[in-house]
Amino acid sequence: MTTPIRVVIAEDSAILRDGLVQLLLDRGFVITDAVSEPDALRSSVERDCPDVAIVDIRMPPSFTDEGLRAAIELRRVHAGLGILMFSQYIETRYAAELLADDAAGIGYLLKDRVADVSDFVDAIERVASGGTALDPEVVTQLLGASRRTDSISVLSSREREVLSLMAEGRSNVAIASELVISAGAVERHVTNIFMKFDLPVSQSDHRRILAVLRFLDS
Amino acid sequence: MMGIEMEDGGVQVRSRLKEILTAVAGAREPQVRATARTIIREPFARQTWSELAFLSIGALFAVFGIAFVVITLFAGVVLAITFFGLGIIALSVRGARGFGGFHRQLARSYLGEDIEDPDEFTPRPGFLGWLQSTLRDRTGWRAMAYVGLKVPLALLGILAGFAFWWDAFFCLTFPVWGGSGSSPAVYGLPQVLFGTNFWSGGHSGFLYEVGVFLAGVVFFFAAPWAVRATVYLDRRVLRVLLSPDPVALRVRSLERARAQTVDSSAATLRRIERDLHDGTQAQLVALAMRLGMAKEKLAEYEELAGPAAPDPDRTRQLDHVRQLVDDAHRGAKEAIIELRDLARGIHPPALDTGLEGALATLAARNTIPTQLTISLVGRPTPAIEAIAYFCVAELLANVAQHADAARASITCAQHGRWLRLVVRDDGVGGARPSSLGSSSSGLTGLTDRVRAVDGRFDIVSPLRGPTVVTVDLPLHA
Repeated sequence: MTTPIRVVIAEDSAILRDGLVQLLLDRGFVITDAVSEPDALRSSVERDCPDVAIVDIRMPPSFTDEGLRAAIELRRVHAGLGILMFSQYIETRYAAELLADDAAGIGYLLKDRVADVSDFVDAIERVASGGTALDPEVVTQLLGASRRTDSISVLSSREREVLSLMAEGRSNVAIASELVISAGAVERHVTNIFMKFDLPVSQSDHRRILAVLRFLDS
Repeated sequence: MMGIEMEDGGVQVRSRLKEILTAVAGAREPQVRATARTIIREPFARQTWSELAFLSIGALFAVFGIAFVVITLFAGVVLAITFFGLGIIALSVRGARGFGGFHRQLARSYLGEDIEDPDEFTPRPGFLGWLQSTLRDRTGWRAMAYVGLKVPLALLGILAGFAFWWDAFFCLTFPVWGGSGSSPAVYGLPQVLFGTNFWSGGHSGFLYEVGVFLAGVVFFFAAPWAVRATVYLDRRVLRVLLSPDPVALRVRSLERARAQTVDSSAATLRRIERDLHDGTQAQLVALAMRLGMAKEKLAEYEELAGPAAPDPDRTRQLDHVRQLVDDAHRGAKEAIIELRDLARGIHPPALDTGLEGALATLAARNTIPTQLTISLVGRPTPAIEAIAYFCVAELLANVAQHADAARASITCAQHGRWLRLVVRDDGVGGARPSSLGSSSSGLTGLTDRVRAVDGRFDIVSPLRGPTVVTVDLPLHA
């Protein structure tokens, strides 16, 4: 890692906020700010231009989805800002809203995932570099939601598995080890998915995201 | 006369008597004057004429009302053997309620009667719901009783009130036409009292004319009171039959108390969930995070130490520590999941932003393709939203477990002040209320909660399906 990733944390629970700061500092991240409510988050992002914002969905004043609203707004203003939503619950609706425009640099994790430190740090790094990091739970729900539609039914079951892992933001190598198949096989499945979804050949990074979006939209 | 008697009685007694008389007259004078003023003013008072207007308009609508009620009730009773008859009777009750409302409005604007409006008619959704609600509508039946009673009341009003006014007019104008010998047909009170030949009985002369005229004056000043007397009767009946039903008032106050209880318990549940979220859950997550860090540090430490220090005793101790940390880490993660499920059962956080999103999440999460159609104008109260949410969650879980269905659908629509949820699946059917629910207490508890807010729970599930479960909930508990 050449330059450390700069992170702002918006979490209203003090104990969790302090814990996150401690964990990320320990892992070599730079914490630009740690705030407890959406307005402070906005001004902090404005001031420090961090790479990633870790945002709790439920924040004051009404403790419903203030964090999500703030994050969506921030994305509109600061295009390059990675957003990692962080929540006690997974709501399909929130995921769909968050991913509505563009899945690049978006993450949505259950708070539990912070317990597995390395996975959590991976997720932040993926989001910082413009990838996605969706909680397996999100993917399960979205998969359930999209079962009824036709666009997903053109995929074989193996391709669907690969796609849902792609949606979580995994790389081909990670997918290969997860499904215990060769990297070449994963590559083939991915190409098939692109073909079946009619995605252009150029910009292969972007294509992954498009495929995921297609999958989420369906 | 008095003077003659008093002649030898002396001046003292006379003056004393005069004093007394003056005193009595003086004391009475204001009262007498007031009464006289009232009597003289009354025929020209505004109240008198509005009462007359109330009588006339009321009488007109009494005719329409009784005609409507008699025809519809008769038709309904004749057709009662068919299902159709009930509908007509219900229509009759519903119409009577309308007539009642009209008479109440009339009394309000012409008599200044301050009668509270009864509760608005809020039928349950569906035709059967409407039928049941209408036939049980006490306000409607009471209004029908008024429509019935209004007929004799109106007759009395016309007889007493209009007769007096007509007689007054007739007698006062008698000197003008009386001499001509031809008498118009008269249907007044004197006619009733003194026989048909009263006016044309051959009486004549100046004194007679003066007498009739004076009678006219009496009628003229008595007429407002005759009208007032019959209107007073009408007022009494109105107040009893067209005011809100005492039973309904009691029910309403009980409903209000229940709504408060239900709402406050919903608010309490939400607060508990929030406390859990902000307190215990956050602490558990922080704990699991620290344990996770400890676990990784331990691994790093082992790597650093490497195989250079193969002290078997230390290795064993280190293994033990790692084992403990691993267990604690896993335990903390499990506790987080359990606590989340618990909190979700107490108050689903998805409901915070409304039923629509919450149901969408439920439909999306369901393992069977589930279609959601929702049309809500406003938001039901949180307590109702929670009941609706848990009903759908439980029913969908049930469909997934037992129905063997290929698809399911949820419809959530507003019908007036009711919320109707319909969960439908194309599965095997044969579901019975007692067998429904993922757990034995699941749906039984829900039907209890639905009934607690006056809702209704209905299952149609023939063998080989499809199963349709309908839940009606009021928008406000």
